[in-house]
Amino acid sequence: MDQALIRNFCIVAHIDHGKSTLADRFLELTHSVAERQMRDQYLDRMDLERERGITIKAQAVRLRYAPSPGAPDYELNLIDTPGHVDFTYEVSRSLAACEGAILLVDAAQGIEAQTLANFHLAREAGLAIIPALNKIDLPAADPDEVARELAALVGGEPADVLRVSAKSGDGVPALLDAVIDHVPAPSGDPAAPLRALVFDSTYDPYRGVIAYLRVVDGEIRGRDRILFLSNRFVSESEEVGAFAPEPEPVPSLSAGDVGYLVTGVKDVRHAKVGDTVTLARHGATSPLPGYRDPKPMVWSGLFPAEGGDYPLLRDALDKLKLSDASLVYEPESSLALGFGFRCGFLGLLHMDIVKERLEREFNLELIATAPNVEFLVRRGEETTTVHNPSEMPAPGTYDDVEEPFVIATVVTPSTYLGPVMDLCQSRRGSLQDLKYLSPERAEIHYLLPLAEIIFDFFDQLKSRTRGYASLDYEHWGYEPSDLVRVDVLLQGEPVDAFSSVVHREKSYAYGRVMTERLQKLIPRQLYEVAIQATIGSRVIARETVRAKRKDVLAKCYGGDITRKRKLLEKQKEGKKRMRRVGRVDVPQEAFIAALRVDQGAVGERK
Amino acid sequence: MTERAGLYVHVPFCLTRCGYCDFNTYAGLDHLAGRYVESLRAEARLTSPEWSGATFVSMFLGGGTPTTMPSKTIAGLIAHLRESFALEPTAEVTSEANPDTVDEPYLVGLLEAGVTRLSMGVQSFDPVVLDSLERIHSPQSARAAFTAARAAGPSDVNLDLIYGAHGESLDSWQRTLDEAIAMGPEHLSCYALTIEPATPLGRKVAAGLVPPPDPDLQAEMYDLTCSALGAAGYEHYEVSNWAKPGHRCVHNLGYWDGRPYLGLGAGAHSFRDARRWWNVRPPQEYLELVASGQLPTGGEEHLTDEERGLERLLLGLRTADGVPKEWLDPARADRFVADGLAVSRNGHVALTDRGMLLANELTLSL
Repeated sequence: MDQALIRNFCIVAHIDHGKSTLADRFLELTHSVAERQMRDQYLDRMDLERERGITIKAQAVRLRYAPSPGAPDYELNLIDTPGHVDFTYEVSRSLAACEGAILLVDAAQGIEAQTLANFHLAREAGLAIIPALNKIDLPAADPDEVARELAALVGGEPADVLRVSAKSGDGVPALLDAVIDHVPAPSGDPAAPLRALVFDSTYDPYRGVIAYLRVVDGEIRGRDRILFLSNRFVSESEEVGAFAPEPEPVPSLSAGDVGYLVTGVKDVRHAKVGDTVTLARHGATSPLPGYRDPKPMVWSGLFPAEGGDYPLLRDALDKLKLSDASLVYEPESSLALGFGFRCGFLGLLHMDIVKERLEREFNLELIATAPNVEFLVRRGEETTTVHNPSEMPAPGTYDDVEEPFVIATVVTPSTYLGPVMDLCQSRRGSLQDLKYLSPERAEIHYLLPLAEIIFDFFDQLKSRTRGYASLDYEHWGYEPSDLVRVDVLLQGEPVDAFSSVVHREKSYAYGRVMTERLQKLIPRQLYEVAIQATIGSRVIARETVRAKRKDVLAKCYGGDITRKRKLLEKQKEGKKRMRRVGRVDVPQEAFIAALRVDQGAVGERK
Repeated sequence: MTERAGLYVHVPFCLTRCGYCDFNTYAGLDHLAGRYVESLRAEARLTSPEWSGATFVSMFLGGGTPTTMPSKTIAGLIAHLRESFALEPTAEVTSEANPDTVDEPYLVGLLEAGVTRLSMGVQSFDPVVLDSLERIHSPQSARAAFTAARAAGPSDVNLDLIYGAHGESLDSWQRTLDEAIAMGPEHLSCYALTIEPATPLGRKVAAGLVPPPDPDLQAEMYDLTCSALGAAGYEHYEVSNWAKPGHRCVHNLGYWDGRPYLGLGAGAHSFRDARRWWNVRPPQEYLELVASGQLPTGGEEHLTDEERGLERLLLGLRTADGVPKEWLDPARADRFVADGLAVSRNGHVALTDRGMLLANELTLSL
């Protein structure tokens, strides 16, 4: 197709501002999906996405649209992006494949933290930005006010802000027209050697890696010998196609096109997202600007509940990695939990999703240790990266420890500024900047340790602002902090899975909460069990599980010995499923419950 | 060597069902009693050839409440069983008795029928506790029944007591024990109340209407029982059983020692040569099967060596004699001895009073 008739764009929005619904309307308006196949959130293919109402994986779809009768058909490639802060890197990938972005804002909610974050990303990527209000038909909508806010943000007049209702379809044609008018056509060179950006990929068990491509220069056909520029890996492409919206083979993709490439590559590491594909012969020599590799920010140990499932877990992770390049993992062995993997995630939502996919798609039962951030331990000239609290060296053996910090953006009604600042302050935050989007709404920037916001910060923020505040953050760098490792000991034996690295001021609270929690979770045993929290050799909290005094069937005659034996056999089975720490039996459920993160951050004033 | 066995006869009738009881027993089926006794006789005829080589050293009429039947009926039944099986002349013959169903003439009848031991379901002398257990008898009728038993003639008397019901304090249990000791029975069975899920009490506990027994309080009560009965001259010879010297229950010792036993009646269990089998539970079904000339067997199992081993351990460790040391992991046994949970003597390891209350846990650890 003539590049002049192609537009590549995406929709960026805060979560729940209606991005997926707008995409559904685009599909309908352009008759891209047969009516009977249409369903809500069409582009969210994973069950998990549909259940949670979020987009996890980027999707692309080709729309054909003639702005007026008799006008030529345009090819509009919509690249749908995830909306959660964990997946910011996916947003940046999608942006790299586009020339324009619709910045969609809920007319009732106004600008939110992710609106700001996404706007800045899109502007930095040099995209044309089309501001639009959604949900203008909601009773609570205040389109005039929100249009003013949005115009002030992107520059321009409030009148230029388009107004749509993705639910009813009002204003959607005008929005598509604006995409054609305002988003520049691609400007690559169709005659130049092939350069195509892999902006995402999936893995098909039969066909291998399927790369999502944005062709910048040149042309690629169904059967070409292709070359991945970053690693010089050569493969034979098997098929190219477009998303219409289901994959549909085409003879070729050329400059400006968006589509897919069946790479013929069986190992996802050879066809990395962000790489540039060219032809093996007469190929390009310089890659397109890639984007940063996603960096795991949150670490957690995943252990099979049944020790024998370790090989299954390893296979499952290998398979999941094929469609989720951001997942990293390394074998880990825990005295308490056996063999498992220390996994790195983009954030807590990502961790949650990976765990749920492993359990659901691979039928595994998993125990996850409490998530932690990565620490840099400095000793003289030497820096060690620690992903696992139990690997944190003893106090006094290092110079200092650094932890990752983020710049958090909170957008809140000004009436809640006080509670929001209190919360950030209690999480070791330092105020960077405070701006008013309007007299009623403020935008605050805080420098915060990542560890303080990954757990329940968002929930706390929501509860202190009646759900009105929104949050986004970007990584800032590492700073030294007064961090200590708190260990939890059962009868003097440290339980590695319960070790945590926390700020010294919060270490007592952590120790107290963990020992109290375990005191309730560990069943009474033959002998008293001492539960201690320690920093180095110093005990900071202690609880005791008293020895069990009675465990016997009172009555044991009448001849029905069978039943008694079966009761005892059941008790024996239960004992077998416990994890043994020294001479203490700890039920699996106790690990799961003690390591749960949704019980509120330790040390938080409620 | 002759096989020494026990004979159990199940009588599944009760005046009312008690809230905590999960035995195979029924209220309101008394009209079946006549036919039921006939069936017991018939079942004895069916099974006796198999057991012709065995000598029976004990007979136990349990239930249910055997004493819901006239003493003459019981006498006829015992006589018939003596014809069918080789019951030793000196065999212990126990009958369970509900205090409300017995008086002196009745008990005289039982003793004449050959009963040598009476086991009375007293449970408590505290009316609050009896009410909580949904027992219909009063403390007075228990006292009267005991007096009647002593007047009826020589026999061993056992009192069944239960501790740890909702509403019972340590003091109340102490008073029940004191009263029982003052009566001077030869034998006392003191059970910690166990909540069985499939009982009215179990459902109340599950629904939160009644609190479950506090295991620590029950442990206190157990300690009290051990010291009070020990001081009164009773030997603690099984987790829940105490007897004056020479008055241990031969029949129940048979279960714990792994001797063979034959059970007659609805739902009764039997055991012989690593095989355990049991009769169908519903009395009607039992009656029909026997009437049609069939054995009323409802199920059976053949114990593997491992199951047999676990049973021997689980049963043996309940008794004061314990088990041969070679059955145990020596290191663990030594540790439990060192910790005061067990004692080692004559090549046997037995649990102490404290250890017996933890018998499940210890059995699994040894």
